[in-house]
Amino acid sequence: MFLTRSEYDRGVNTFSPEGRLFQVEYAMEAIKLGSTAVGIQTAEGVVLAVEKRLSSTLLEPNSVEKLVEIDEHVGCAMSGLIADARTMIEHARVEAQNHRFTFDEPMPVESLTQATCDLALRFGEGVEDDDEREEEMMSRPFGVSLLIAGVDEKGPALFYTDPSGTYIRWLAKAIGAGSEAAQSALQEAYYKSMTLSEAETLALRTLKEVMEEKVESNNVEVAVVRTDTKKFVIYTEAQVKECLSRLENRETH
Amino acid sequence: MYNKQHLDPHDDTSAQRPDFMPYQNNGGTVVAMGGEDYCIVAATTRLGLGFAIPTRNVCRYAILNDRVVLATAGMYADTVALHKVVTARVKVYQQQQEKPFGLFSAAQLLSNTLYYRRFFPYYTFNVLGGLDQDGQGFVYGFDAIGSGEKVKVVCNGTAQALIQPILDNQVEKKQQYENKQIEKWSLQEALDLVKDVFTSAGERDIYTGDAVDICTVTKQRGVVVETFPLKKD
Amino acid sequence: MQLRIPSAAVKAQYVDPTQVVVDPVRHTTSPLVTGGSVVGIRCCDGVVIAADTLASYGSMARFQNLSRLVKVTDNCLLGGGGEISDFQEIQRLLENLITKDFCFNDEHTQSPRSVHQYLGRVLYAQRSRLNPLWNSLLVGGYTAGQSFLGMVDLYGTTFESEVLATGFGVLLGLPLLRKAYRPDLTVQEGIKVVEDVYRVLFYRDARSINRIQVATATEAGVTISEPYSLETKWDFKGFVNPRSPYDESTW
Repeated sequence: MFLTRSEYDRGVNTFSPEGRLFQVEYAMEAIKLGSTAVGIQTAEGVVLAVEKRLSSTLLEPNSVEKLVEIDEHVGCAMSGLIADARTMIEHARVEAQNHRFTFDEPMPVESLTQATCDLALRFGEGVEDDDEREEEMMSRPFGVSLLIAGVDEKGPALFYTDPSGTYIRWLAKAIGAGSEAAQSALQEAYYKSMTLSEAETLALRTLKEVMEEKVESNNVEVAVVRTDTKKFVIYTEAQVKECLSRLENRETH
Repeated sequence: MYNKQHLDPHDDTSAQRPDFMPYQNNGGTVVAMGGEDYCIVAATTRLGLGFAIPTRNVCRYAILNDRVVLATAGMYADTVALHKVVTARVKVYQQQQEKPFGLFSAAQLLSNTLYYRRFFPYYTFNVLGGLDQDGQGFVYGFDAIGSGEKVKVVCNGTAQALIQPILDNQVEKKQQYENKQIEKWSLQEALDLVKDVFTSAGERDIYTGDAVDICTVTKQRGVVVETFPLKKD
Repeated sequence: MQLRIPSAAVKAQYVDPTQVVVDPVRHTTSPLVTGGSVVGIRCCDGVVIAADTLASYGSMARFQNLSRLVKVTDNCLLGGGGEISDFQEIQRLLENLITKDFCFNDEHTQSPRSVHQYLGRVLYAQRSRLNPLWNSLLVGGYTAGQSFLGMVDLYGTTFESEVLATGFGVLLGLPLLRKAYRPDLTVQEGIKVVEDVYRVLFYRDARSINRIQVATATEAGVTISEPYSLETKWDFKGFVNPRSPYDESTW
């Protein structure tokens, strides 16, 4: 395998003879180093939950943000290179507001995901500068994966994006370092008629299973987009604590 | 296909004719009225120019989809250009979003499109009508630079001053000596009213006449266009 | 040449030579050599477009044998009035468009409707740059048993009609064309109608000449006649003595 990779993994614009873009595949590997994030869609809304790796007790937990709002009806969880995610999210936020400005309606979640992926695809693309010289805009693919959750007129939706610019809709999806174990946990426990609070508990239980540290209210983040309010809300520490106590209660009984 | 060698569209330094007035008034009148389960959008077909009538049959409306119709009075070249821009935007929207273009979005898009040309406006006076998601009719009226409002009934164009007061009186029940008018306008009653106001306006406005295209929007039948003849004099 | 002098300077009865703005002399920003009316009528078996052969230089009848009708494709023709040099530029644009189609060698040619729409976009784009092509154009054609007649003006206004006229023809010719029009009118009859229109125009339009060309687009293709003179009759009482009591006209 490594033999065939030689030379073909240098540029982002060159396929290997087997038809692979190694830089994109390496970018996918970068995500597997990231913290775990899970998303679960139910009829009542979508839950996003992420692990925060607090590598030092001197670290301010609030400053680690891995759940962000894109527009009031859409939010996103990220895993991988967070700086790359910032670029994509900034793009998504502008797209969402531009859609509102032009069409006087919230942007559909799938369109927003598509618009975000349009940017992800632009690696290796040249742009003309003022002197009409081609300049490289991005030298590599984004090393980040997103879980985009939202509610639009069609109802709740959860999308997963990867560095190749592909997006796929999932009912429940895990990304990051613990994604393999987490995904099989979700596979086992997910059912379609799940309530939102059951989904919250499942999300936290899944994180708990894959996290090295003990799950606390300051090292996980939880957010929901409810179908009835169509609003993205990040839970406060107190709300996270409440979710965690629900999880404990379920496990003890 | 535009020949760059002769007329360079990107060449802003090319000669301009400083005395050239880029606008022309071709007249025309448009009316829109929304009901419980229908919407009417009507536009005259006469193309006027000074005291002449170069043609009696132009299309001043654009069917954006089966529930939104735009009608435009004013300069006809700008009308055609505006309709081309808006219908193209609607098509792209429907392909990208995989859903029909809504009336309220159309209002926002039209307003933006007009305001974008704030300092070289489309010389057009628009009404926009259609159905919302529940099938209820709504209409909007806009000025040439994109100000607009959602109303029950609206008239724009050369016969605005003749028609709007009558619509206000009949539909909005304004300035009525004795309140005795129709409460809820049925489609047929509304159609009769629209035909009447156009016929009357045709008697007094030289830019209104020949015929009026009446688009009826209903949930069941989509957009149906009927051409109602007016006097040709 | 215009002198613009700041009003404050005028009040002070003093002109600062550095403040005087002299507009450049503009010799070519209004039409100079112009063609008059073009008229057209749709027929059941084709379309007829006619124009006289005069190009005026102001009030002077400068070029008296100039063709204002051109063949665009085998089934499409164009007639133009207004600034002649702009019309020739338009002919070059169309030649280019048609040549490109020819070079593709794929049997595709522009339909009369698309030529009309193309010209509409070109003239609209130019007017939007405040640098109009100062013309009124009629596009006629005959494809698949259907005749086409459309008009474009210097603002980029585009429309189609059974009968069309430009310039003075709108006022003097259109009523005659509308009266003569029938859905079953033949090209032969149509030619007679436009000849009548040009006779009337020659009587009353000072920028016209009694020498015309008539072009047709039919199943057989496009033909443009050689220029020929119209028979005119000047011994009407109103013409002989316009102020006689027999003259019932008001002008």
